[in-house]
Parts: sequence; structure tokens; C-alpha cells
Amino acid sequence: MSFTLRAVKVPPNSVNLEEARSRVFEIFKTACRSIPSIMEIYNLDDIVSKSQLRSIIASEIRKNANVTNPKVIDMLLFKGTEELNNILEHAKQRHHVIGQYVLGPQGLVQDLDPKDQGLSSFLKNFYKSNYF
Amino acid sequence: MGLGLLASRAMRPLKYSNSRVFIRSIVSKPELQSPEASSAAAATALEPDLPPRSPVGGARVHFPNPEDAIEVFVDGYPLKIPKGFTVLQACEVAGVDIPRFCYHSRLSIAGNCRMCLVEVEKSPKPVASCAMPALPGMKIKTDTPLAKKAREGVMEFLLMNHPLDCPICDQGGECDLQDQSMAFGSDRGRFTEMKRSVVDKNLGPLVKTVMTRSSVPHNFWLNRCVRFATEVAGVQDLGMLGRGSGEEIGTYVEKLMTSELSGNVIDICPVGALTSKPFAFKARNWELKGTETIDVTDAVGSNIRIDSRGPEVMRILPRLNEDINEEWISDKTRFCYDGLKRQRLNDPMIRGVDGRFKAVNWRDALAVVAEVMLQAKPEEIVGIAGRLSDAESMMALKDFLNRMGSNNVWCEGTGAQPNADLRSGYIMNTSISGLEKADCFLLVGTQPRVEAAMVNARIRKTVRANNAKVGYIGPATDLNYDHQHLGTGPKTLLEIAEGRHPFFSAISNAKNPVIIVGAGLFERKDKDAIFSTVEAIAKKGNVIRPDWNGLNVLLLNAAQAAALDLGLVPESSNSIESAKFVYLMGADDVDLEKLPNDAFVVYQGHHGDHGVYRANVILPASAFSEKEGTYENTEGCTQQTLPAVPTVGDARDDWKIIRALSEVAGMRLPYDTIGGIRSRIRTVAPNLLHVDEREPATLGPSLKPEIKSEMDLTPFGSAVENFYMTDSITRASKTMAQCSAMLLKK
Ligand code: SF4
Ligand code: FES
Repeated sequence: MSFTLRAVKVPPNSVNLEEARSRVFEIFKTACRSIPSIMEIYNLDDIVSKSQLRSIIASEIRKNANVTNPKVIDMLLFKGTEELNNILEHAKQRHHVIGQYVLGPQGLVQDLDPKDQGLSSFLKNFYKSNYF
Repeated sequence: MGLGLLASRAMRPLKYSNSRVFIRSIVSKPELQSPEASSAAAATALEPDLPPRSPVGGARVHFPNPEDAIEVFVDGYPLKIPKGFTVLQACEVAGVDIPRFCYHSRLSIAGNCRMCLVEVEKSPKPVASCAMPALPGMKIKTDTPLAKKAREGVMEFLLMNHPLDCPICDQGGECDLQDQSMAFGSDRGRFTEMKRSVVDKNLGPLVKTVMTRSSVPHNFWLNRCVRFATEVAGVQDLGMLGRGSGEEIGTYVEKLMTSELSGNVIDICPVGALTSKPFAFKARNWELKGTETIDVTDAVGSNIRIDSRGPEVMRILPRLNEDINEEWISDKTRFCYDGLKRQRLNDPMIRGVDGRFKAVNWRDALAVVAEVMLQAKPEEIVGIAGRLSDAESMMALKDFLNRMGSNNVWCEGTGAQPNADLRSGYIMNTSISGLEKADCFLLVGTQPRVEAAMVNARIRKTVRANNAKVGYIGPATDLNYDHQHLGTGPKTLLEIAEGRHPFFSAISNAKNPVIIVGAGLFERKDKDAIFSTVEAIAKKGNVIRPDWNGLNVLLLNAAQAAALDLGLVPESSNSIESAKFVYLMGADDVDLEKLPNDAFVVYQGHHGDHGVYRANVILPASAFSEKEGTYENTEGCTQQTLPAVPTVGDARDDWKIIRALSEVAGMRLPYDTIGGIRSRIRTVAPNLLHVDEREPATLGPSLKPEIKSEMDLTPFGSAVENFYMTDSITRASKTMAQCSAMLLKK
């Protein structure tokens, strides 16, 4: 982990929401700039396009759109930087990146059986597990 | 050291207990060297302004008649107790837990371990509180140095010959001896001789013995198991052999424990001398999670605690319920749990053309079942609930099949034309604890010892307590208490009904006569005739009065009472012969011989038992230890199981499967949650929602139409062939298999 510590410096706290906001744009831009090298490191060319990755990054950031506390934003920013660094350091493997970002939480096994459309939520849950 | 100085020292902890001067010494204190003097001093220092204490274990005192109350003083508190209480009981009411080994509230008093010594004012020596009746005005002191010193002495004797086994002892962590030696034990031993060792005995597949652990001088506490065996279980298997330090507990003539209650000696034994064999070295009791639930292996519904570790049931212990099982459970209940790990169905399966099962997913399995079901004609659809089914799933099954247009739903073991209209006709009207008031029993075609061991223990208790007469009609059997074997079949019943039999006068002269009819008779063709004969006896013998209903049915299975309450009765008696689609919900003991070969059988259940052999589709369900379900026991008391462990594999709860299937078949049931089903049950049988309450039947059998049919004179059979194997769980259990092998050998 030493390289992460070296690479990720803890920036000073944001004084207000404005500063935090500009930092968020900053990290988005940095991430977008590293997309080409990420695609190269993890051989992602044949599964996603650059623009798709960009929107994935944007949606990751939008997940926290409701956070207004600058301290929390700082923390999230730190985590984001760390994550980006891990990816760039090749601290992850291809399937991590694919599983986590390209496919999303649903994963590879997606139940998109057309027959399932009209089912009640009870039956959908029933097929998944006994505990619901 | 002068006496005054000694006395003042003794008083110090009491008077200045929060001043800094008081230094707590760990080694033997000077006041302990001369206990009499210090206790005399301490007595004066006791002031009753200590905070009031609440009774041990929430004990409540019941005064049979208020004039008999006497007043005693425990540690200075005045206290009213009924006459006949022992000093130990009085202390319990006062909130003082007296250390004890040999005393057990449900067994006779032995008074031989002397651990329970307390001081009583004006008696020269400390007295054994468990054996001493409390007398009016007695001043009891429980925590004087003298008492403590005495207990320390006892403890030292007890530990003298006790092995240093705790690290490898299954009792470790819940051992009375361990706990008490923490309180009263000395930190070093003075015993330098060799410790005694004793050869272990083989007590069969259930109880493991480590006799050395019981080899304290004179074996007092093993005495508990001897008393249990003779008093509660009714076998004379364990006894003392030899004398002095050569004395040991043995099964006379190396006889095996033949009682169906033998497992209870494990709980009774305060040390690790008798432990559970299947549980040996499996787990430590502090790693276990306890779940309070209900047993389903018979119709009694014993209260149990399932101890589990992760996904595994490690052991089953009884829970106190005075109305049902007191604090005992049968061996089947206690040891059947290894069956929960064997032969489990964990995936939905479909039988292929080659006759082999192939695992499929739920979607496909339900689709196949729904398709076949929709092709069958409504009257060709049959649903049978198993003996372990809970009320919720039976309700769902009945609703579902009714929606499919079929009315052929029943629960196995209830016979062709069960009488589900009058609740008094299928439950135990006297209630299990009510049996204790009886003074005359007539058992008709039932062997409670194998059908409901806890009911049998109750009857035995009654027989011992008030010499109740027991008459028994059925195949010869050993019931564990004195009984008259009146005959083997309906002939004897007729004789009694007509008043020709001498036992009839016993019934009519009894104050509280009880008739128990076995549910095994439900399967007989002439059951209506038998029941009306029994009712005739009841009428003539004054068995049913406004204040006493002594006419009982003893059910066999956990599901039966709820099934009859919910109205799971077959429409016609030969529906199996004409069935094209059979839905077995855990039903393993139905006779499928007559089923047409082209019938489609769905087996929903948790074990690969009899039902699976004929099944075309298997739907895995959860066992009683894995689901929340309502059960009604034979006396009409509703209780619920709670999930202790997760389900295995891809199994689902029974009612969920039926609910899902109903949707796939296009007949969606209107409930999605267990609460939803329960509100549906409320409209059918509201008593099933009053959990932990016994709902007595409201109407007596007098409303029943007269039945004029002939009794068939074939003798009654026995309903349970093998006590240890009655359902799919017990049949899958290795321990139960060993027990039945032993039973056969005898
Ligand atoms: S019986 Fe109790 S004291 Fe004796 S070895 Fe076992 S745990 Fe230890
Ligand atoms: S408990 Fe009283 S003598 Fe054993």
C-alpha cells in the first residue's frame, strides 16, 4: 500500500461548498484524462468505448449528488482519488474493473427473461432466494 | 486474638463496607477460622434495610389455602410462604439462590450433597436447606461465614476425586461444579493421593458416561439420575453399586437405558458425568446460538431450544413449559437433529425419461408442475399435507387446490372420513396438565409411551402421585406404570360400554375419569362406531361434566390438530385411486400403491424419504428448524417455531412454494407475506393465531348425531411401530437408527 500513500496526498480541507464543488470537477477531469491509459492497461477496447466509461465515471460521481457537507465531500474525493490511483497503478485486475464499473452491480448474470415481465415482485424474489 | 477483636473484624465488611479501610482478602480469612464467633457477631449487624430482592427465576408462590401461610425470615427479611415449603424453597422465594447439587425441584429430595447448607438461628449446626422443612418464625441466614465455610468444605471434598478434565469436558461452561468451585472452591488442593478412576459404562447410543467425573465421594449427585430414572422415566436401570469410594453408578446387569426419556439425565446431571453422545466434542456451549422453538416429532409440541452454530443444528434442549412438557423432552425430540443434515433435498428436481432426477431451477420446475396441473381435471387433483406441515402451508395448499377446483386436500394420518366438525372430537379436552387431576384412565387403542412420550410421563406422574387406575385396551405393551390390560380390541370396549366389565365401575366411581382414544383408530373403517361406543362409555361413566371433560383424543402428528381445524378433509375416500395429479406436501406415509401409474406426483418436502420414490418433480422445502410456522398440539395449544438455521441449498419455505406455484399456474393466491396468510387463517380457525394459548373446544360431543354402525371386532393395532422413527427427519437420523437397532435387538 505504500505506493498509494505516496501517490495520494491528503489535500487541505475545502473551506466551503464552492471549493469542494470545483474539486469534484477537478477529479472528474483527471479521471477522464486517464481513460485512455485505463483502457490500455485493462484491455477494455473491445468491451466499452471511451464515452461509455466517461458516463460511468459521471454516474459514480452523481451517486453522491445529494451530499452537501464539504467534509463528507472531501472524504469522498479522497476515496475517489485513491480508487483512481489504484486503477492506474494496476492494483486491480481486469475483472475487477469490468465487474465494478463496466457491468455494474447487477453483474454478468442478468435475469432479463422476457417471460419475467408480468411477474409479481413476490415471484421475482422467490426465484432469487428464500429470504425476503 | 481476642474474641472481641475477631468479632469486630467480622462486622467490618458489613458496617463499613464502603469505607476505604475494608481490604478484601482472598485467602482464608480469620473469621472463617472461627465461624461460630463471627456469625454470632454478624447476626447482630444484619439490618433489614438492604434493597429488596426478587425471587430466583421469577419464582411465584401459590398458596393453596391462605391460612397455611407461615412467616420466616431470610437474611432478616420477613417472608410469607405456604406450609410445607423447604428452607431452600423459602430462600428462592426470597431471592437467594442457594448452591445445590443433589436437589432438583422435580425429583424427590435426597439431601446428601450438603452443598445447600445454611444457618438457622438456634440450631447448633448448619442445616441442609433442601431437606429441611421451613418452620414458622425460622430465621434463616444464607451468607454467613459459617455457611460459606461449610460450603467451602463440601466443595473441597467434592473436588477431591474429581478429575482435572474441564478442557476436554463437554459440560465445561455450563457445569454446576465449575461455577460453584469458582464461588466456593479453594485455589489449591490438599489432596495428594491418587485420584480415583472408574471404568466408563456403555449406556447406549445416546448418553455418554465419564464415570470418573462422578466419582466424588459417595456419588451424591449421580443420585439425581437414579432418582430421575425411577421417578420420572420409570425404569430401574441406574443404581448404586458398591460402597464408599468404591461406590459407583451402574446400569443394573449392564442393562441399556430403555426409557424414551433417557436423554433427560444429561440435563439433570450437574456435572459432566452424563453427557450427550452425539454432541460429544462437537461444540462448546458458549459458541452456540439458542433459538426457542417447538418440537414437531410428535403431537405434544414440546418446547425446545435449538442450539445452532452457523448453519448447523448442534443440539436440542428442553425448555420449561409446565403445561406441556414440564422440563423434559423425549429422546426422539432431543436426538433427531442429525437427521436434519442427512438426505436433504436441496434443489428442485425433475425426473427424466430415464427415471433419474435432474436438478433444474425453480422457474422450470414450477412451470412443469403448473402445466401438468392445469391439464388435469379438477377432481383428479389431490393434495396431501405431511405430518410435519405447519398451519400456514396447509392453509395455502388448501386455498390453492380449492382455486384449482379440487376439494381433495387432507393431512396424512387423519383417515378417510375424519370428524373435523366438532373440535372436541379430536383434541385432548382434559389438557395435558389436566391429566394430573385424574384418578382413573382408560386408554383405548393408544400407547402413549410411543405415541406421545411426554403425555405418558404425565400419566405416570399421576399414577405415582394419586394411585390412579389405568385400564388399557390394545396390543400388549409396557407402559412404564402399573396398568390393567383389559383386552385387545373392540370386544372389551363393548363390554365396558354395556357395563359388563369390572373396569366400568372403576370409571363410574372415579372422581375425574379420563378416557384417551388413540388417533391410530382414525385409520379404521369402523372408527365412527368405535367413537360412539367410547362416547357411550363417557356418558354412562359421567366422564363429561360441566366442570370436567375427560374424553380425549391423543393425536399422533404435529400437523394433525391444525389440519383438522383448517378443515383439511378429503372429499371422497377413494380419491387416490382416481387421481391424475398428486401434490405431496411432505407426506411420506400415504399409501400410493393404488395410485394409477400415469399419475403425476409432486413431492414438496425437506427429506428424500418415502414420498420421493414415486415423485416426478421434487420441490425442496425447509424443515421445522428453518422456518417460522404455526403448530397446534394435541391439546389444542397453538405454538410457533422460529428459524434457527438457514435453509439448505435452494430450498424455500413451504407456503412460499405454494404461493409461487399458484402464480405460475395463473391462480394467484392473495397473500404475499406470512402475516397475510395468518389473516386468512383468522377467517377459518382464529384459534391458530392465539399463540401459546390453549383453546378448549366449545361444544361437547353431545351434539353429534347417533351413529348406528357395527364395530368390526379385529383387535386394535399399534399406531407407532418404532418410537424412534416416525417421520422423515427421524428416519434420516443416524442416532435414531442406532436406537431402533437397539430396540430391535431386545
Ligand atoms: S464436570 Fe464440570 S468440573 Fe468436572 S471436568 Fe467437567 S466441566 Fe470440569
Ligand atoms: S442440595 Fe441439599 S443436600 Fe444436596
